[in-house]
Amino acid sequence: MLLLSLVLEGRGLFPLASEVAAQEVSAQTIEVRDFRGKALSLRQPAERIVCLIESALSGIYMLGAEARIVGISANVYREETYRYYAAMDERILNKTLPSPGNWDFINIEKVVGLKPDLVIIWAHQEEAIRVLEERGIPVYGVFIRSFEDIYQEMLALGNLTGARERALQLVAHTRESLGRIQSRTAAMASGDRVRVYYMWAQGELETSGKGSTVDELISLAGAVNVCGSIEQEHLVVNIEKVLKWDPQVIVMWHNARKDPGDILHNPMWQSLSAVRQQRVYEFPGIFPCDLWTLKFQYAVKMVAKWCYPELFRDLDLEKEKLVLFRELYGERPALFERMH
Amino acid sequence: MQPRLALFLIYLIPVPLLIGSLFIGPADTVSTKEVLAWLTGPWFAPTPSAVLDSGLVRTIIWDVRLPRVILAFLVGAALSGSGTALQALFRNPLVDPYLLGLSSGSAFGAALALATSWMPLQVSAFSFGMAAVGASYFLARTRKSVTVISLILSGIIVSGIFTSLLTIVQFLTDPFRLQTIVHWTMGNLHNASWAKLNSSAPGTLAGLVWLLLFRWRMNVLALGDEETRAVGLNPEHQKLLVLIPATLAASASVAVAGVIGLVGLVVPHMTRMLIGPDNTRTLPASLALGGSFLLLVDDCSRVAASFEVPIGIFTTLIGGPFFIFLLRRSRVGWEI
Repeated sequence: MLLLSLVLEGRGLFPLASEVAAQEVSAQTIEVRDFRGKALSLRQPAERIVCLIESALSGIYMLGAEARIVGISANVYREETYRYYAAMDERILNKTLPSPGNWDFINIEKVVGLKPDLVIIWAHQEEAIRVLEERGIPVYGVFIRSFEDIYQEMLALGNLTGARERALQLVAHTRESLGRIQSRTAAMASGDRVRVYYMWAQGELETSGKGSTVDELISLAGAVNVCGSIEQEHLVVNIEKVLKWDPQVIVMWHNARKDPGDILHNPMWQSLSAVRQQRVYEFPGIFPCDLWTLKFQYAVKMVAKWCYPELFRDLDLEKEKLVLFRELYGERPALFERMH
Repeated sequence: MQPRLALFLIYLIPVPLLIGSLFIGPADTVSTKEVLAWLTGPWFAPTPSAVLDSGLVRTIIWDVRLPRVILAFLVGAALSGSGTALQALFRNPLVDPYLLGLSSGSAFGAALALATSWMPLQVSAFSFGMAAVGASYFLARTRKSVTVISLILSGIIVSGIFTSLLTIVQFLTDPFRLQTIVHWTMGNLHNASWAKLNSSAPGTLAGLVWLLLFRWRMNVLALGDEETRAVGLNPEHQKLLVLIPATLAASASVAVAGVIGLVGLVVPHMTRMLIGPDNTRTLPASLALGGSFLLLVDDCSRVAASFEVPIGIFTTLIGGPFFIFLLRRSRVGWEI
């Protein structure tokens, strides 16, 4: 309860004053602080952005600032994301938008050649950041540990692209939407909350513990992560532990090699309540419920519905998805066609 | 210690270890009493517990622990048996099953399967492991003969090539799949199941039985090509007759458990230290000892933490210092 009330207080329907202050834009210059704690100062909104993080790129499309993008991660051209971005951007559809790196490796020469006035990459890519900054290219380093970090990233991207109002609106909308979900389970006693085991695509025993976005996702849905007592972002858990915890619902990250049927028919999992009651679910795709973007709210809604079907009887997930994507990405008919 | 007594003890070790391992697991899942009650039936179970009735004990012992215990033993036996055979074949104490490219070939096969889903992981790992050793053998073959030096050299080259190919796959893949590939190369037994055991056991057992039947020939090969010819055997044929089953057993194991290091190198040495260099006795003893060693290491890894630590890390951390300790206090046991 204490945790829940803290969550509710900390995540009101509107952004905190401190968040806005931290991202304050002065009349002449734009000043933001990235996830390394480094202050970034631009004279005007960035016009040529190289964004090598797919989740941040999604944020820029939500802000409607994609015209400022001049380089993207090669991972965007993978089938599972390409089909969505191709529906939003002709340059991606025709594969003319350069990709000077992927999530890990960066071709510095290509990045520099694109003459960017802002590069967005992971904060831990220190070597690449150093080389780019030595060449006078401003770098915004990202590191997502919680959903609060996503809000912070969105507000910063809003400032950097001159779409601050839109960013504030998106963050406020997300908080409001989550508030509505949380309010339905707020009064629930901790003993009545559904126990959830989360399964990453890397393996049946790969999950996330306390302090992870997954743990936060399950809490926001009003349920309890069975691995919540282990403080690790990602871990391989012992199967005997899972059997002992006896989760009532199993949530699988989108998995190309396995589906809920494999878990339901695996003899090792048969004693679990989730398997006996056939409550094993899989997220429909990486793009629609990316946990490092504001789309995580859709994942929260799905988990809430899977855990408490009666309580969320009125929540039509398909309809919800379309409404949400319209709110996040704006009017993009081709994208909505892909969502069906 | 008398070799005969040592041999007797080595053959005896697996029995209590296999049974005892069924009792080992995370502290709070099922109690020793419940395991005992399930194993011995209603006669010895004075108070039936709720856990016993729920089927949890059965699942944990039958579906979780038993396949893992058998798989750990089988993989350990295969790696150390294969190591013993190859050390005799190459007349070199530094050889292990991975020398001819088996580990890098399998790792590449596994990575390719994980990154592209082109074929089942275990089939791909097994096929590329065998292919790598085959490539090493045929690259080393000149004028219908294969010298030990050329085989080792071609093994190093083939390993290098497959490692580069593995790096390419790792470079091109996304972080999710990369993580799976890295975990696979660390070696693990936590996904053990009857299905995995069924896919691995035929290859492993076929290889090991074959090796056991041909173990006397290893003694002949260990004397060198000239001596092998002197007793009327074709050394090239004999080498293949040892190389094929050794690779088969190790590949089938690596395909399900990933790359578990040091077992194939350390255990054959331990066995020789205890009972000498005669392969007719060393090979079966190294199977028993190798299986027991990996099982013991896996038991330690199962109780060490509430999460799973890749077994390959433990074999090196436990096996390495123990091996150095043995080396420092006794002769290597290589001399005849």
